[in-house]
Amino acid sequence: MLSVIARSGCIRPIARQLAPSMSQVSHMSGSTVTHWKAERYVSILTVGAMMTAAVHPTLAVDHALAILVPLHTHWGLEQVFTDYIHIKPLIPIVGILLKVLTGFTMIALLYFNQHDIGITQAVKDVWNIKRVNPEELG
Amino acid sequence: MNLTRLCTYSTRSCLLSTRYLSTSSEYKVKGTAEFFDKQKVLNRPMSPHLTIYKPQLTSILSISHRVSGVGWGVLIYGGTLLTLMPGGFSHYVQLAEQVAPGAGIMIALKATLLLPLTYHTLNGFRHLAWDTGKGFKIAEVYKSGWSTVAVSVLISLLIAIAL
Repeated sequence: MLSVIARSGCIRPIARQLAPSMSQVSHMSGSTVTHWKAERYVSILTVGAMMTAAVHPTLAVDHALAILVPLHTHWGLEQVFTDYIHIKPLIPIVGILLKVLTGFTMIALLYFNQHDIGITQAVKDVWNIKRVNPEELG
Repeated sequence: MNLTRLCTYSTRSCLLSTRYLSTSSEYKVKGTAEFFDKQKVLNRPMSPHLTIYKPQLTSILSISHRVSGVGWGVLIYGGTLLTLMPGGFSHYVQLAEQVAPGAGIMIALKATLLLPLTYHTLNGFRHLAWDTGKGFKIAEVYKSGWSTVAVSVLISLLIAIAL
């Protein structure tokens, strides 16, 4: 009986079920592997872009952030929806809505970089918000 | 005892194992769908029973990763909408300065906002380590877990106070 359970793969370290390791990736199909790797590369690039923006902000970094941050968020939210939305007719609708929202966010951020102060400066400005004394306003 | 019966004992692992047992991707998809349909008909209670199951560092950090990610996602998607408001971004920053709270509350606010971001980032690296197959021993999982929490809190407080 135990050997049957072991062979069926029911006894597995819990952590391996939560995060597929490299050995598990080899069991996935081609596009799944590409997507899985892309998710990880984008995660690392997102952190890299944020660090770069902090020390050496440029328009190019802002544009990179405008693509990377929504993309990383998109894949995260997609996974959350896959896990929690089980009402079948809702699944494709939510999927399309999310794609539209992410695309819209990317375009809006690129536009903001090009025509307004850009992501990095905006974050700095919000960070530096201080209460202004009413008398100073004149 | 067949595989379907076994799945009544360990839903998640058997769900994964059915993927390994089959080779054709078509079979995999069909098998998974059938499995979910069957579980739905059986109408089982949710596992683990969240209100009675003892919270553990592992599960709490796992859900925290999600919550912090979704939270910042909403903030970013929502914040992007703000950039589209008429009058330019700087105009709204100036408006905010008139209603901003005092310095102490600002630091607390910043630290509160930063914590989920630093935690999500550091825990993300923890996940990347797992993805390479490292750190799966229970002792390692707890050590990296507590370290992630401690360093996140520290960095958040430091940035909120110093910057």
